Amino acid sequence: METIEKSAERRIVPAGTQGLAVRSSALVARGLRDLSRDSNWLIKKVFRGHTRHLAISPTGQVCAISPQGRHSAQRVVLYDIELCVPNLALSVPNELLVAATDLPAAFAWSPTGRHLVAAWGAWNPALHIFDLHGKALLGTFGESKSFPAHLTWSDTGKYFAAGTSGGSGASLRLWESAKDSAPLARTAASEIGTPEWIEAQAAGAEFADEGSFWGYGRAAFSPDEKSLASVVEIRGDWADDSIVILDVPRLRNRNAFTAQGHVTDLTWTPGGEHIVYCAAGQAYRLEAATPTFEPLPFGAELCACHPHLPLCVCFSSWLKNSAKGRLFLVDLNRLTVFDEYAAEGVVDLRWSLDGSKAFAVTQDGLAYIYEPPLL
Amino acid sequence: MALKATDIPPVHTPLKPEDEELALKRAEQAALETELADRELRAANLRAELHAFEARYLHFVGLRYAELDELKAQIAERLAKEQPANERAQQAARDARSRADDTQSAAGEKAEHEPHAFQSSPEMKRLYREVAKRIHPDLTSDRADRAKRQQLMAEANDAYAHGDEAQLTKILTEYECSPEAVKGEGPGAELIRVIRQISQARSRLSEIEAEMQELLRSDLYQLKSRLDEAQQHGRDVLKEMIEKVDSQIAQAKQRLEIGGTNGA
Repeated sequence: METIEKSAERRIVPAGTQGLAVRSSALVARGLRDLSRDSNWLIKKVFRGHTRHLAISPTGQVCAISPQGRHSAQRVVLYDIELCVPNLALSVPNELLVAATDLPAAFAWSPTGRHLVAAWGAWNPALHIFDLHGKALLGTFGESKSFPAHLTWSDTGKYFAAGTSGGSGASLRLWESAKDSAPLARTAASEIGTPEWIEAQAAGAEFADEGSFWGYGRAAFSPDEKSLASVVEIRGDWADDSIVILDVPRLRNRNAFTAQGHVTDLTWTPGGEHIVYCAAGQAYRLEAATPTFEPLPFGAELCACHPHLPLCVCFSSWLKNSAKGRLFLVDLNRLTVFDEYAAEGVVDLRWSLDGSKAFAVTQDGLAYIYEPPLL
Repeated sequence: MALKATDIPPVHTPLKPEDEELALKRAEQAALETELADRELRAANLRAELHAFEARYLHFVGLRYAELDELKAQIAERLAKEQPANERAQQAARDARSRADDTQSAAGEKAEHEPHAFQSSPEMKRLYREVAKRIHPDLTSDRADRAKRQQLMAEANDAYAHGDEAQLTKILTEYECSPEAVKGEGPGAELIRVIRQISQARSRLSEIEAEMQELLRSDLYQLKSRLDEAQQHGRDVLKEMIEKVDSQIAQAKQRLEIGGTNGA
């Protein structure tokens, strides 16, 4: 009895579509994505819980305080905005297990999204720097009595700034580092306390209706990294915040001017000639060199300029005559709003690294992705 | 008196155990062959439908995406030229150019003829099922025969995808007349052959199932399903997609001509 052994070859009937399917997969995915939306805005639920403390990365991640695990303890968690999945929960030595949602927190992503500087009330009072490629805590720096109010990196990652508030102890510190490298030095390269023009006044003391120096709020480096614009917060019933423009890296005062109310956000235009800022719900444009300002024809509380186009994405929680919030795009050349979407509770805005998308995330973990076909 | 042939009582020779087993296995094999042919037909149908849909999608939408990305690259390059010191603008232009090249490569060249949706007649299905039953490579354990069957089955798949009925008939006829179609040797060898063929057929059934699942999970199938579903409700979504991209192309052209950012 003779049989022929079964061939080891298992090449089954070739499927003619396979090569083509791989080649066209990106275009098919693009078609599916375009099909699932009827506007330039895509809305996704990214995380559960409620927090005002979050920061969006230029690569489409969001770092937020949110409940994790069976006991719903609060953690600092990184989520992928488009995939709506948690990527990583950050932890540090001696981290407290807390359920409280009101602990202070501040985050800043490096320009490439590789590093994250974070401070949180459940951690030691210092800035913690993480390498997210290596998924490791690289170290701590910038210990301070006051909790940081705002953290920011410059465009190439060469500079990092941290502002604190709280009155007399408030400061603005600047660190230098090689491009997108870490960790940063334990002590700052430059530091300022009370701004020069207020120095004459006693810090913390009342001065008429103008209020008292409280600290440093939102800050942003100019695109050429030669200047740092920071909000100087003045506390008082009728007090107006100021915006100070400082030389980098020495933090010498170049220009300062008084805004019209509490400044909630500021952003440099791509060329670095102007700063768009939001004060008391109104948007303004400030010429950095003079400095002179003009009100823009729309209200806004948050704003972020496009990295290289004269566009700005804004959020306003109060739309005239409707008391409803909206996200919208502004053409800074024509000062016209050309795309908008209803939204409530947005706490951060950011453009992607290449400027093809803008992200906005609300305190309830809802993300708005603006992805127009022509950017 | 001579007995007539019809008067001879039939002699029931009991089947040998190996013949009995062989008969059982052949029945099992026949059932599996039918199932395998049906499954192959379903898989071939799905592959052919997706292949045809993909060709249509690339022709009508993919090429438009390529045109749009090319315009976007030109816009980005112009902006980069206007802002030579802005590294972000330079990078954006490089990225846009790279994306445009990728899209063009994925969309391919414009076909001379408009691709059509896949359609299969009942006769085509019957023929394909017959081919799969007769020449399926997993229904033989002969190495040379298997290689020949693989080649023929690939040709049959191609003929089916292109609706070429004559070619399917030719493949079937040619194989039926070939020496490989002749079976032989004793029941023992045949039994082993049949058992192995059953095993191969089962294995192939599992592979078809896995392939079907993969195809059903693919983005291409999801997209096709969305379009088919909408069509059942009277909506031509492919046409809507074309109009949408055309409108974006028109906006991009306008931007390229007059400059500015409005309409992004």
